[in-house]
Amino acid sequence: MTSTSSPSTKALSKIACNRLQKELAEWQVNPPFGFKHKISDNLQRWIIEVAGAPGTLYVSETYQLQVDFPEHYPMEAPQVIFLQPAPLHPHIYSNGHICLDILYDSWSPAMTVSSVCISILSMLSSSTVKQRPPDNDRYVRNCQNGRSPKETRWWFHDDKV
Amino acid sequence: MDSEDDDFHSGGTGMESDEGDADYGFVENDSDDSDDIIYHRHQNYTILGEHDIIRLQMEDINRVSQVLSMSRDDACILLRHYKWSVNRVHDEWFADEESVRKAVGLLEKPIEMPRSREMTCGICFEVYPCNRMRSAACGHHFCNSCWEGYIGTSINDGPGCLMLRCPDPDCSVAIGQGMINVVATEEDKKKYARYLLRSYIEDNRKTKWCPAPGCEFAVDFVLGSGSYDIICKCSHSFCWNCTEEAHRPVDCRTVARWILKNSTESENMNWILANSKPCPKCKRPIEKNQGCMHITCTPPCKFEFCWLCLGPWSDHGEKTGGFYACNRYEAAKQEGMYDETERRREMAKNSLERYTHYYERWATNQASRQKALSDLQDMQAVQLEKLSDKQNQPESQLKFIIEAWLQIVECRRVLKWTYAYGYYLPESEYAKREFFEYLQGEAESGLERLHQCAEKELQGFIEAEGPTKEFNDFRTKLAGLTSVTRNYFENLVRALETGLNDVGPSSHLAACSRTSGSGGSISRAKSGKSKVVRSSAFRPGGPSRSSSDDGTHWSCGRCTFVHVNPSNICQMCGHQRQTCAHPSDNQ
Repeated sequence: MTSTSSPSTKALSKIACNRLQKELAEWQVNPPFGFKHKISDNLQRWIIEVAGAPGTLYVSETYQLQVDFPEHYPMEAPQVIFLQPAPLHPHIYSNGHICLDILYDSWSPAMTVSSVCISILSMLSSSTVKQRPPDNDRYVRNCQNGRSPKETRWWFHDDKV
Repeated sequence: MDSEDDDFHSGGTGMESDEGDADYGFVENDSDDSDDIIYHRHQNYTILGEHDIIRLQMEDINRVSQVLSMSRDDACILLRHYKWSVNRVHDEWFADEESVRKAVGLLEKPIEMPRSREMTCGICFEVYPCNRMRSAACGHHFCNSCWEGYIGTSINDGPGCLMLRCPDPDCSVAIGQGMINVVATEEDKKKYARYLLRSYIEDNRKTKWCPAPGCEFAVDFVLGSGSYDIICKCSHSFCWNCTEEAHRPVDCRTVARWILKNSTESENMNWILANSKPCPKCKRPIEKNQGCMHITCTPPCKFEFCWLCLGPWSDHGEKTGGFYACNRYEAAKQEGMYDETERRREMAKNSLERYTHYYERWATNQASRQKALSDLQDMQAVQLEKLSDKQNQPESQLKFIIEAWLQIVECRRVLKWTYAYGYYLPESEYAKREFFEYLQGEAESGLERLHQCAEKELQGFIEAEGPTKEFNDFRTKLAGLTSVTRNYFENLVRALETGLNDVGPSSHLAACSRTSGSGGSISRAKSGKSKVVRSSAFRPGGPSRSSSDDGTHWSCGRCTFVHVNPSNICQMCGHQRQTCAHPSDNQ
């Protein structure tokens, strides 16, 4: 697993390990509809396949999410990005960063990978237009050198999509 | 460089009226100031130490808790949400309790979740016996260690922890100090309490921290109550509005401009001195970065001069050793007439002269104030006791000395700011400037007199062999000077604060010695037209129109002083009375 740069990772704490194992077990029994976890032995980075929901702009398209877990997961939010190519969506930047509040300020330790996935799919599904955010170029330029989306000060303004 | 270009800051000068919980009962008190000991008499603020803050916060919480019959924890959450305004909490609550509850995250009654013997924690997904689980009023249970982690993460993220909600994503019930104190680590509890205390001062519209470094006092200010000047218990005096040091009679905007000017100017000045010469004609600084010695200043000046000797280029040519050499300069340099850096400095200073003039005086008074402050401390700590021994006087009888020194410190501060005032007083307002400078000069010499007496003359009595009979005379003199100077400065401050627009005759009289119920005769700026009858005659710049309605008096065209005698020279500034220019004046 050597795709993009990983966030400055410290090994998972014991609490994080336990919780992720439980999450993974639950996922295997009861995966969220439309998602597939790619089997790997890396607990700290999950690659998840998303299938565009029927009846939406993204039907029959598949994308890959990369989820990296910090040392103190779930007290701290995971870092979630789309691997290339990222879906065309007004809240998804071409470098895969996602503007979604629960990934940053509104994260709560009672959320799970599964609930994050469902939120992302719902965000995709409610889109009415396939386009990049208006500030895409500027933002992506600023993110060179592998800056994590968690370092961005996000401004959540649009609750429609 | 230009004095015009730093007009960057506005706002914050007007007295904002306040519909908050300000106490309007505070009416400006206009009885005579003369027998007042403390300079700031109507104190419209309270200095709070940490214990006071905690006590006040407690009181507010208790009040809300009692009136709304809720727990102190909930009352605290409510108060913080409404920036610690008890009135606002009450208003909002009684207007629409339900939406307040929703916004703040308070449930009407706790939700009882079915409690089985064992439960799964919503964060770590481990199963625990129910006595090791805990929930807020919403009944969402989490294990103790997850609570500790959740709360600890939030507290370490900063003061946002005061708005903590239940970890359940679909729940927005507020988590208060009660829960923090049960599950957080000792260190986190302390941090949380600290944030709560800070919030009480920082979010509250009527309180602020004293801005002095290291000072831990706060100020509770009566909003809308007049003077912004605060003296903290740490002895730092500052302006409530802009938190810069106290700066009456200058307004906050001018202070901000002046401070910015000082900081940029010092850098500018150094650079200019090192790298440029002012154009000998228009004084604009010129940086020579390449080329020959023939300099042409930029339009509209276009003056052509020699970079070396700063003389006009027209004097140069073959007779001065060719176009690219300057014999005048070379020769003069050999004779030692040109110390290059000295000359450069002098010229650069020329262009900054005006600013420097004011800045130096501003800074000198600042330094002088610092000195007076330390002298005052020395006086209180050491000298007073000595004097009491020497002169056989109980220390309680020597308070007049401390008062004199307090007055000196205050006057130095005022005087200092009058230089910032003077710098921004437009050149074009000639009469105002003249009058201002006259007032300032009088203030300066009055203060020198007091300072001299408190410093030098007092020294004599401290060093005396034994009690001297003159000491009583000294007491009378120093107390008298203190009082006169205080009155003069108070009038000066008022006059400048009203923009010298409605200076009444009493401020002149004050300069001469005693005041007649100060304040009464100088109307506040806001009072508008009401005093026109009196002041129009003395309004600067207005003598031609107004000076002679009854033919018995005239006011000086320069300083506006009003004369009742028929002399032709102004008693105040010595200016010649201009009768010819204003034929309407009485002759």
